[in-house]
Formats: sequence, structure tokens, C-alpha cells
Amino acid sequence: MPSQRFDQARPFLTLGLVVAVWLFLPVAVKGLLRASFFELQAPVMVSTSYLRDLQEYWGLRVHSKSELIAAGRDLARVNASFELASQQNTELLGEIRRLEDLLRLPPPAGYRFEHARVVRRDFSGWWQRLVIRKGRNHAIPVGAPVVFTGGVVGRVTEVHAYTAVVELISSPAIRLAAAFEGDQRPVSFQGGINPTLATPRGAIEFVPLDIFASPGAPRRLVTSGLGGVFPAGLYIGQVTKVEPSTDGLFKTGEVVLDARLSELTEVTVLVPLDPS
Amino acid sequence: MAGNLADQSGNLVESHKGYDLRIVIFYPLIALLLFVLTGGLAYQQFIKADVHQERERMQSHRRILVPGPRGNIYDRDGRLLVGNRPRFAVVLYLDELRREFRDEYIRIRKNYRESGDRDLPSAAQMDLLARNSVVQRYLDQVNDVLRRDERVNATELRRHFLRERLIPYTLIDDLTAEDYARLIESLPVRSPLQVYTSSTRHYPYGSAAAHTLGYTGIDPDFEAQDFPGEDLTTFKMKGAVGRSGLERQYDSLLQGEPGGTIFRVDPSGYKINPPIERRLPVQGGNLTVSLDIDLQLAAEQALVRTGMAGAAVALDVATGEVLALASKPDYDLNDFTPRLSHAKAAVINEAGAWYHRAIQGIYPPGSSFKILTAIAGLRSGAIEPDATVECTGTFRVGNRTFVCNNHRDRGEINLVQAIEKSCNTFFYKYGLEIGPELIAQEARRFHLDQPTGIELPHETRHMLVPDPEWKQRRRNERWFPGDTANFSIGQGDLIVTPLQMATFAASVARGQTVTNPTLLHEPGRTPQRSDAIGLTAAGYATLLQGMEQVVSPTGTARILTTPFMRIPGLTIAGKTGTAQKRAEGGKNVNFAWFICFAPAERPEIALAVMVEGDTPGEEVAGGLYAGPVVQAVLKQWWEKKQAAPARAIAFNSPE
Repeated sequence: MPSQRFDQARPFLTLGLVVAVWLFLPVAVKGLLRASFFELQAPVMVSTSYLRDLQEYWGLRVHSKSELIAAGRDLARVNASFELASQQNTELLGEIRRLEDLLRLPPPAGYRFEHARVVRRDFSGWWQRLVIRKGRNHAIPVGAPVVFTGGVVGRVTEVHAYTAVVELISSPAIRLAAAFEGDQRPVSFQGGINPTLATPRGAIEFVPLDIFASPGAPRRLVTSGLGGVFPAGLYIGQVTKVEPSTDGLFKTGEVVLDARLSELTEVTVLVPLDPS
Repeated sequence: MAGNLADQSGNLVESHKGYDLRIVIFYPLIALLLFVLTGGLAYQQFIKADVHQERERMQSHRRILVPGPRGNIYDRDGRLLVGNRPRFAVVLYLDELRREFRDEYIRIRKNYRESGDRDLPSAAQMDLLARNSVVQRYLDQVNDVLRRDERVNATELRRHFLRERLIPYTLIDDLTAEDYARLIESLPVRSPLQVYTSSTRHYPYGSAAAHTLGYTGIDPDFEAQDFPGEDLTTFKMKGAVGRSGLERQYDSLLQGEPGGTIFRVDPSGYKINPPIERRLPVQGGNLTVSLDIDLQLAAEQALVRTGMAGAAVALDVATGEVLALASKPDYDLNDFTPRLSHAKAAVINEAGAWYHRAIQGIYPPGSSFKILTAIAGLRSGAIEPDATVECTGTFRVGNRTFVCNNHRDRGEINLVQAIEKSCNTFFYKYGLEIGPELIAQEARRFHLDQPTGIELPHETRHMLVPDPEWKQRRRNERWFPGDTANFSIGQGDLIVTPLQMATFAASVARGQTVTNPTLLHEPGRTPQRSDAIGLTAAGYATLLQGMEQVVSPTGTARILTTPFMRIPGLTIAGKTGTAQKRAEGGKNVNFAWFICFAPAERPEIALAVMVEGDTPGEEVAGGLYAGPVVQAVLKQWWEKKQAAPARAIAFNSPE
């Protein structure tokens, strides 16, 4: 009889034992186990993403030549406009350099652009992050800013051998120094608690009292560049509401982030050229 | 052997045969003891439960109070005169570092033991070392981000840890916007290291209206109304309390409503989250004052240009609202936040800048008082509107010769000319005819013997309108005719404040006797009304004509008619004055006065300016020194008025 009871309780005892062992394991061992698990899992995720790319490739192959020609024509137009913008940028950069030389300003922090495919997206009320298909193999550092055509994506929080984890700006664990477009004063942006499938939102604090925004007259929020992580002027989102805090010192507000954050397939990691 | 053992063991076994009745006597005793024990337990658990709960609450609950930001002060046009500036600091929540302190303590102890050092520090010393080490580690994170080399102040940390553990420990205070931005981007969101924001008083105009606006000081002992836990151990962040000026006068309005948090703590005093009770601080009420910052700045800049100490007051004639209340020298109010340094306090002391000359300075009004003597004479009948005097430049009273101030024009002088040229002879003669009692009575009718009641602390109460009775009572001396002569030209023992002279000018402008100045702005405020000045139309017209002539090419304020000083389109009615006061060394120090109102035909603004001569023996004349200050204020006012729509004003008739 007792042996039968012991057999019935064995799963619980085993679970308890495992939990106890886990609790008493040194932090370093836990970290190693976790990293190993991720590294073991990574090839599966990377392979899946390559398969998905292949699937997309064959999916695109079914398009007709006429469609390809039309797409090529559209692309040529876009390229032409980008070419023009690029020339203007080159001229502006030259002017900026000339003025910096005149004022004897130190050169701004430079970045190397590392484009990476998105391997996996994790969106939940708990975390908001992406796994990208580049890691230590491309010298991606922890903390590097990540952007896409629509502005800021987030920051690299973990780097593995062939992958890296990017915490999205919609995550409450991300905080950065932002500014209203056309205004130099820094405000604090932090991601919010965002339910799955909902439009991602964030919150801003320390907004000066003379700033106003409403759904009818939203204001663009960009990176201030003062924090030293993100370069200045990158789009974060639209501020649709600001209201005074009870202490009367500042306002707080809500930021509607780019809906494309949840369907990104390609991002760019800005790797600082001077890590100091 | 075996048999022996069995025998021995058999001897060791205790055997009971039947029931021993002797034990029965212990039963009630045990029952009684049990009853006492259970009863005591029940008493403590049920009857004294509240007491124990209260003790537990007192021991395990801690209250943290955060002051509410003070309200803002605006000028009459809604421009911010006093506000709050955010103050960013990087702080460390020590109560979240318990585990790190313990680990560091163990590491330090292990290091000492491994090194074989016999001179082991005590547990308290190692505790201190561990705390310093952990806090320095966090500070180094901040140093890395801000590229600084700050070190932990061990004494300050120890004091904070022992007394205010639940309050965040400030590592670096008053960060710049760039530093704050760098830190919020670099520090992890969930970290004991955080950027903390508090508010501090900010004065956008620096020293403008410094004495009137006032400053604040640190208030370590503010209270949170209606926030529970008054009996708990309470930690308070530093608050601010008004120490002078409007900050002090309206402290209860401006004072914010403190917020607070009540936490449960463990036996070591570390906080257990989340808080039991929380209330956010709320900003205090705002105050809109009657000052016009443009006029205030104009007055102050003009006073600075004189290079001497002085005061200037501008009033709205109709309502008594104070448009400018300046006193120089002064101080920069921003130097008081967070606290005034000894060096700056010494500079203020040396300059005599603490003193609000407009409401605390008492000076003889000199010839500006002749307006009051004229009113007294006209009302008493001693002076007719067409009365004249033959001025020879001197006037003999008893065996003493008094000199006339009017050195240019001699001969027959009427009232208008006497005011225009500030002829002493005219007022000596008629002053003696009016008599000191009537002049004093008239001065009291205009409330020159009492504080104006302006909403500011420390307005002087030492103004004085002398008369024979006062002199006998205070000095046990007889009043001489020479005293009357001096009194009638605003000299002698007569002393008033610049604010009083401004209210006097405003009252004369309205044809009334009393103006109650106020610093509170109220749009559409009802014009003030008091007893009529009591002059005939002819008498009042003569008085006004004389005052207008003061600001003419032949008057004592002719400087205001020069091309550089003239204000086109604005007529001014005024009276200059140059009062003397005996200084150390026997020489006189002059006080230059100018009281006036404008436009003369329909007065809207009244002014009084006083400039203190700083060198004994130096001639500091009213028109020359106080005139440009008046001109600066009136010019600013006139330009603003030209740009603004007119308003209707109704005054009393002079009778």
C-alpha cells in the first residue's frame, strides 16, 4: 500500500526535486543553461526563417512577367526619388561638416548599418520582442539601436552566436530620451503594456507645459539624440494626448506607435563605430 | 551474567499498583495554571488585540511625505513671474539593495579571513564598508554614463541609511537636461538607480520685483492634511515655505498639497512593496498680482541708471492696484534656490539690499509734501487760489533765516508758480498761517500717518506726521515756528514711505483722500472711493495747474520736457522734492523725490519715485534724479496704453 502511494506521488516529488535543484543552482549555471537552450533552439528558428524566405521566393515566382515589369517600373521611380534625396543628403552632409569644422565641433558618433531579417516575433502582454538573424557573427553589440524605414524599432538586449533579441519600443522595458519634432527639450518615452494585436502604444513623461497635442492635432515624437544611444531625429510615434500631471510641473502623454512594428520582416541594427 | 542483567533491569522498572490519591491535589493546581495561561492568552488575543495591532502597525508601517509644488505667480497680463523649475537628480533606492549589501558584506568578510588579517573590522564597520562599496558601484555606473568621477560621501550615506532609508539617496543633484536624457536612456528601467524629479522655485525675471515677490526657504516640517498615519514614523522630502514678500504673505495659497505613501517594512526597516496607501502631490493655487512686469522692469532699470539706491511705485489711480513696486539695490531670487550661499548673503548685506525701500524706507518727503500744505491752506482758507507772496530768496522766522529753494525767479509768486518752481518762501509764509495742527490733520486725512495695509509682510509702522502735541509728548520740547516752516515744506520730523506718497498722488489725482494699494489683480475691479479732497473747483484747478506747470520748460521737472525725455501726447502733473537729512559728519544727504500722475486731464497712473543720495553734501535734486525714473515708467506705460483699448473711469468731484 505505501509503495503504491509513493508511486502515485512520484511525479510531484520529481517536480519538487527539479524545482528545488533549479532554485539552488548558481546564477552562472542558470545563465549558461539558458544560453545553451537558446543556442540549441536558434538553428531551428533560423532554418524556419530560411524556409519561410524560400517559400516567399517561390510565392513571388508565380507572379506574371507583366506584374514584374510593373513592379520594376515602380521601383525605378522610387529609386529615382531616393537618388534625388540621396544627392540632397550628400550636399546637406557637406554643409553640416563645414559648419562643424567652423565651430570646431567633435564629429558625431558614426554607425555601421547591419541589415537583418526577422526570424521570430514575440508579442504578448508580457514581452514585445523580435529575434533577428544576425548575432555575434556580425559583431552586433548589446544595447545597439535598431531601426526600420518607419523609425525606431528598439534595442538589442541579447546577442547569441547567430541571432540577437531586440526589445521593441512598445515594451515597457524600453525607455529613451525623446523630443517633439522642432523642439529641443528632452522628454522621457517608455513603452506601454500592449495587449496582443492591439495598436502598440507608449507613454511620455516630463513633457513641458507649453506642449499641446490631441487626436485632431497630433505631434510627431522623435529621438532627441541626447541619450547617446539613438541618433537624433528618428521617428518614434504620434503623440495624440498630453495632460498636466497633478504636480503641475510637467505633462504626461500617450504615443501611438507605428502599426508596422508587429509585421516587420527586415530591420537595421546601428552598430556604433566607436563603442566608447 | 545474563541472569544478572535481567535482575538489574527488573529492578529498574517502576511499577504502580493502584492509583495514588496524593496526585489528585496536583490536578486543580495544573488546571488553575492552565486556566491562567489560557485566560491570559485569550485576554491578549481578544481583549488587547487592538493594542497589539496598533503596536504592530506602528512598528511595521512607515510614511513618506512628498511636498506638493508651489503655485505660480503671474503678473496682470498673465506673464509668469514665479514658477517652478524641474530639478533632476539621480537617486538610489537603498531599501532595494538589501540582498546586495548582504552579499557584499559576506564577500568582504571572506576576503579579510582569507588574507589572514588579524585586525578584523567589527561587524558594524564591515556593514559600512559593504554599503559604501555597493553604492559606489552604482555611482560608477552613473559616472560611466555622464563621464564624471563622483565619489560616495560615506558620512552622508551613513546618516541617510540610518535615518531616512526609505527616502531615495541622492547621488548627483541638479542634473542638466542632457545628463538627464543620457541617464534615462542608459539606466535600466527596473533598477534601484533612477532619475528623480522634484521642483524648485524659478524666477524667470531674476531680480525683478525681488522684494515684492519674495523668496522661499527649506521647510523640513510640512504636514499632509487628511493623509492617514500621522502617528507613524514619517520621512519627509524637503519642502519650501515662503520667507518674504508675496511668497510669505500668500504661503497658504501657494503651498501645494503634499502627497504621500505608506509602506510596510520588515524588521530591518526595508520596504515591502507595494505601498498600502498612496496619494499624489498636487500643485498649490496660483496668484495673479497687479504688477505689470514691463513697468516694473522699466522702473528698476531706470533706478539702476541713477547709480544710487531708491524706490519707485506706480499705482492704478482708479483701483489702487500696484503696477510697479521697485526697490534698489536688490538681489537675484534664483540665488535662493536651493539655498543662498554665505558669499552671496554677504554681498546682499553689504549693499543693504535686504531692505524694501518702497514700503520699509522712511524718508522726509521734502517739497513733494507742498501739495499737501497747499491743500491744507486751500481748505482752511489760509490760501486763496490767487494768493501771492513776495519771494526775496530768504524768509525770516523768529531769529532764524530760511533759504528759498527757488534761486532763479524772485518777486511776486502765486500758488501755481510756487508749486511750479517749488518756492519755499510761499509755503513758509502760508504754512505759518495754516498752523502745524491743521497741516498734520490734513496729512492724517490722507493716511500719511499710518501703514497703507498693502498685502506684504513687514511694511513699516514708523512713519510719522509730527505736531506740537507729539513733540511735547515724545521729546518734552516746545514746537517752534521754525518747526512749522520746516514741516510745511516736508522737512523736519516728517517721514513717510514712497508707497505712501504714491497713494497720496493717486488720491489727489482722483480728487479724494485715501487710496488703499493692493497687489492683487482683479479684472474689472470697482474704482476706489473715499472722502472727497474737499477743495473748491477753483482751488483744485489751481493745484492741478501748478502740478502741470512743474513738468513745463519753466518747472522743476523741466528735464521731462527736453527732446530726449519728452513723452509726446502725455501730460503729466507732478511735484518734485529734494529732502535733506543730517548725515554723519554734519553734512546733509539728499533724497530726490518725484510724485506725479498722468494723463493730467484724466489721471490713470500715479507714481512716486525716491532716490537716495549716497554722498553727504552732494546735490541730488528731485527733477534731475527721480525725473528720469518717472519718465521711463510713464513712457513704457504710455506706449502700452496706445496699443491697448481705452476704458471708462468715473471719479469723485473734488468737493
